[in-house]
Amino acid sequence: MDFSIRAANVEDCKDIARMITELAEYEKVTDQVKITQRDLEQDGFSKNPFFHGIIAEVPEQHKSKEGDGKTPTRYSTRQMQVFGCETAVASDKKWLYLCFLGKGIGKALMSKVAQLGLAAGCHQLNFTVLDWNKSSVDFYLHQGCTDVTTDMGYHYMSCKGEAMEHLAQP
Amino acid sequence: MDFKIRPARKEDCKDVSRMIMELAVFENMPDQVKISHEELERDGFCQNPFFECLIAEVPEEHKSKDGFTVVGYALYFYTYSTWKGRSVYLEDLYVMPEFRGNGIGKGLLSKVAEVGKEKQCVRLNLSVLDWNTSAREFYAAKGAQNLTESEGWHSIRFDKLNMENLAKEAPKD
Repeated sequence: MDFSIRAANVEDCKDIARMITELAEYEKVTDQVKITQRDLEQDGFSKNPFFHGIIAEVPEQHKSKEGDGKTPTRYSTRQMQVFGCETAVASDKKWLYLCFLGKGIGKALMSKVAQLGLAAGCHQLNFTVLDWNKSSVDFYLHQGCTDVTTDMGYHYMSCKGEAMEHLAQP
Repeated sequence: MDFKIRPARKEDCKDVSRMIMELAVFENMPDQVKISHEELERDGFCQNPFFECLIAEVPEEHKSKDGFTVVGYALYFYTYSTWKGRSVYLEDLYVMPEFRGNGIGKGLLSKVAEVGKEKQCVRLNLSVLDWNTSAREFYAAKGAQNLTESEGWHSIRFDKLNMENLAKEAPKD
């Protein structure tokens, strides 16, 4: 299937917000999605963006069943990060309509993130995955990654809401 | 003990690099440290820095047995959660052993949270090794949740070689 990968622009935020919600539904955590299209526009396309995004797009003749005439897209958010000893790229989320699986689009998106990271001098690509999400885990392992939670014992921790407010008090 | 928390300056990178190695030795992975103070200077103090860093400093009269007044650091950067928005990731938090128990670690962590809040971050994330009980207890006592245990999140990593293999197959622009 013919598809193209390109940098996301601010007009893509509506599609990205829609797919974030779809991915959250798949991960059974819809109630946890607090950001909106407007947040994505502000945070991704201001002077010092918090993230970058790339989009996979198919031609009009291959659009998804629900689409209101728009071509559906897959996205990947990419952030540049430093990991203590090495410069790293962290990827937040990827999501793909079921009908577009198996066409090499996921692989193309990951490859592009790796390429962009290397071009910026990064030495690692890091992200998190839910352990029950077998198809994702298998996909990533097949691309050559390491599960540093299983292999090295790293646990991912998060301070949020009241705990973060409390910590931030001088 | 009197101490001060302040943003790191470029000149502090030698001290930060020293302490990064001390932390790596403690974590039994010193061979994994590939960068020196030069990379820290380049990556932390350029136009679009890859990280920010806070330093804990003691007065001269309290310097370490080896003569250092920079005795702790917190290195962090901004990330993005597609569910919650702006987040801050704490990559390293370290206090030299002879200066622990004086509230320096708490001071550094609180300052990172405060800086994050000023930038409207809603989450502070970090990773901790499962065997590092004192660190796990320290963060849990400050309200951090272990998302690996409670929700099954695993950290996945591609190293440089695997990134290069992946990148070879990236579609042409």
